[in-house]
Amino acid sequence: MYILENTMLKNTLITLSLSASLLILSGCTDKEKKVEVKDTTEIARAVDGGVLYSTKDGKYTAYNVNTQNIDTSSFGRTPTKGELAAWNIDIMPDGTGLPEFDTKHGQVIIENGKPKVAQGNAGYGNELYDKQCSMCHGDFGAGGKGYPTLSGGDINSLTNQLQNPADPKPTMEPPVRRIGSYWPYASTLFWYIQDAMPFPHPKSLSNSDTYAITAYLLMENEVTVGGEDIDEDFVLSKANFGSIEMPNKDGFYPQVDTPNDPAQGVRNVTKYLSNNKNYGAGVRCMTNCIDGKVPVLHIGNELGGITPEPTIKKDLPPEENAGPTHPGKKAYESSCAVCHGTDAMGAPEVGNSEAWKEKLEKGIEKVYHNAINGINGMPPRGGTSFDDTKMKEIIDYMIESSK
Amino acid sequence: MKKLSEIFKKDLDTTTESSSRRDFFKKTAAYSVGAVAAANVLSPISLKADDNAIVGEAEWGTKLGIAVDKNLYGMPSPYEHNNTRRVTELLSSGDMYASVSMCPIHESEGIITPNGLFFCRDHGGTATVNPNEYRLMIHGKMKKEIVLTLEDLKRYPSETRIHFIECPANGSTGWRGPQFNNIQFMKGMMSSAQWTGVMLKTVLKDLGIDKDAVWMLAEGSDNAGNPRTIPVEKAMDDAMLVWGQNGEALRPEQGYPVRLLVPGWEGNLNTKWLKRLEFSDKPWHSKEETSKYTLLQKNGKAVQYFWPNEVNSVITSPCPEKPWTNLKKGDLVEVQGLAWSGHGTIKHVDISLDGGDNWIEASLKGLVLPKSWTRFSYIMKWDGNPLLLSSRATDDVNNTQPTIDQETSAIGVESVYHRNAIVTWEINKKGETNNVHIRKHNA
Repeated sequence: MYILENTMLKNTLITLSLSASLLILSGCTDKEKKVEVKDTTEIARAVDGGVLYSTKDGKYTAYNVNTQNIDTSSFGRTPTKGELAAWNIDIMPDGTGLPEFDTKHGQVIIENGKPKVAQGNAGYGNELYDKQCSMCHGDFGAGGKGYPTLSGGDINSLTNQLQNPADPKPTMEPPVRRIGSYWPYASTLFWYIQDAMPFPHPKSLSNSDTYAITAYLLMENEVTVGGEDIDEDFVLSKANFGSIEMPNKDGFYPQVDTPNDPAQGVRNVTKYLSNNKNYGAGVRCMTNCIDGKVPVLHIGNELGGITPEPTIKKDLPPEENAGPTHPGKKAYESSCAVCHGTDAMGAPEVGNSEAWKEKLEKGIEKVYHNAINGINGMPPRGGTSFDDTKMKEIIDYMIESSK
Repeated sequence: MKKLSEIFKKDLDTTTESSSRRDFFKKTAAYSVGAVAAANVLSPISLKADDNAIVGEAEWGTKLGIAVDKNLYGMPSPYEHNNTRRVTELLSSGDMYASVSMCPIHESEGIITPNGLFFCRDHGGTATVNPNEYRLMIHGKMKKEIVLTLEDLKRYPSETRIHFIECPANGSTGWRGPQFNNIQFMKGMMSSAQWTGVMLKTVLKDLGIDKDAVWMLAEGSDNAGNPRTIPVEKAMDDAMLVWGQNGEALRPEQGYPVRLLVPGWEGNLNTKWLKRLEFSDKPWHSKEETSKYTLLQKNGKAVQYFWPNEVNSVITSPCPEKPWTNLKKGDLVEVQGLAWSGHGTIKHVDISLDGGDNWIEASLKGLVLPKSWTRFSYIMKWDGNPLLLSSRATDDVNNTQPTIDQETSAIGVESVYHRNAIVTWEINKKGETNNVHIRKHNA
């Protein structure tokens, strides 16, 4: 067949071909025949395997479009080298973008007259992790605090399909997708930590810190480098990053890394997406579509915990108690609630009067002191740059909210 | 179920669809007259007394209302406070900063979500960006790299399009069985708006992108950044840089002042608070396209770079939140819902009353646009018997929504994302509406 550019024409033809290709499939019992409707018109495919629409005669599908020619070549300005260096910090699997030196605001840091080489060992990474990461991700990345677990995966578990009710013997074990068992590239780990972690104050780690934490997490995930296990003394930097061996690097398809012909990678995805048999093709069966009894599966354990309570009632909202706002409230909510909003991380929970009574046994000044200087899993000032006055306001708010 | 399918077949067994519909409406017209009469007999208020809502003086009609200068940015009626986004800790990563608020699609009218109800998925809270310090950097393998301010960006000619945005995890709690009994948490990880901005191809056409630069990275300026790889072919097709949402500036939850709009594709690719587009001959393999947004298959391998949200539909009325408990036997009722496809335009929506054994085509209502929510409607009389009510959409690339078994037999139950199997409501004799799955299972 041929490819149709004009949507209206195409729609007309699809309708025609639809009525001409009403198929009655055999293979059912004599009494009840399955009736399916199929449309076999060829379609111009977009990159995602969907329909590629085009603009014609000032129309794009149902939309009118201004098709005047315009010159926008003078718009904007060229970015400076410093601006590019500050923002262009993404890392690719082949090591493109990995920093060689420590930097600040796009500039290389000079130490003793030389550029400071970015590197860190797993032992130092362990120290940083315990101070800045373990309160959310658990000791050794073992999780348990509600945030993502970072270790303990098993590549052999990836074929597990937990409790598919259609299986005669459903698997009771899930696939365990962790850094060592699932992530294909270590570059992703470095990039994500540097860009988005630690959660309450991202972009605060130096390149060296990030190498150290990356090395530590690879160690906890039993990832090897050049055939060797990682120990606390192992130093990670741009120089040896390419020797990291991620166990599941070949675990993904379609193949998009096609260096000899970059466009081939895109075509591979288009091909996969263009065939819905790959991911669940339905058929337009109209009559007698289910053989035998309709298999109805009801909810076993209903999920709840929804806020606010689901209802479509048309009534007036409960009166809100609108008193003056405490000066520490806003800062608490934006910077402290991540850890103090629950007791999951070992921090005294706001609202839990017992937890705060215990902390106040040694006096309010001691509580201020600990918050400002750091204690246990809490970094100094909770990792913020609030001054002493603001810190005290926040603590007062937390204590008052916990009475 | 046999009996139900026979009831339903009465409509289907007639020789052509048009005569089937004529008969159907003849029948429903007769029934609806009966329903009105029944209501008059059964309603105690209408028999015993005048309706006080009519004969009594309404409070709001006998005193001054709220002064015009009091709500200069208007809010919905206070009586509508339950029409709101909702959250659950189950769908949060530790706290409410990396979490999602679900859209009340059961209360949605037409194909546009009001800005305050648009679902919101953040990875580190909603950023509050100062528009005066907004910069967009476009760089990489190209002749001319540029930085644009918000004012620069708005000088390009704008277009306005209606598109849905859907998180590909929408419906993901259903892989192993039905779990939520409300549509808001089953399918509310999507919304739709009329977006205004510039076509990305208009901005890129003067920049001389290298021929082998087939990949683009989009990154936000928030604390999570959320970098994602997008093929340049999509950037040059229908992707947009948008600053307008339903006639006003983007809401912060939607990436104020500028987000990338990638029509029909995974919500996560529609980068909020957009700060940077980079071009390369290699894909990036960011965290959200390796550890997440990949579909683990039965063979232990995972599908990566699965961009579009496939053809899908759900009946929004009735649904568990909006059951038929107020209906009486014989009442006329409009079954309606939403269909959508990231692959194109909705072509057909079929309705089943017997869990998918027999189907009839529903009507599409209102605007039918590519990569947009599309309303469908089927008017029927409820005879008071239990139903298994399903909808099934087909798009113009001729993909039809799979049954649950068709989908899981192709890709198992560990994909997390891109679940588009047919949704079924079980309506019992009381009119209560529950989420059920029509799928093979062990008793």
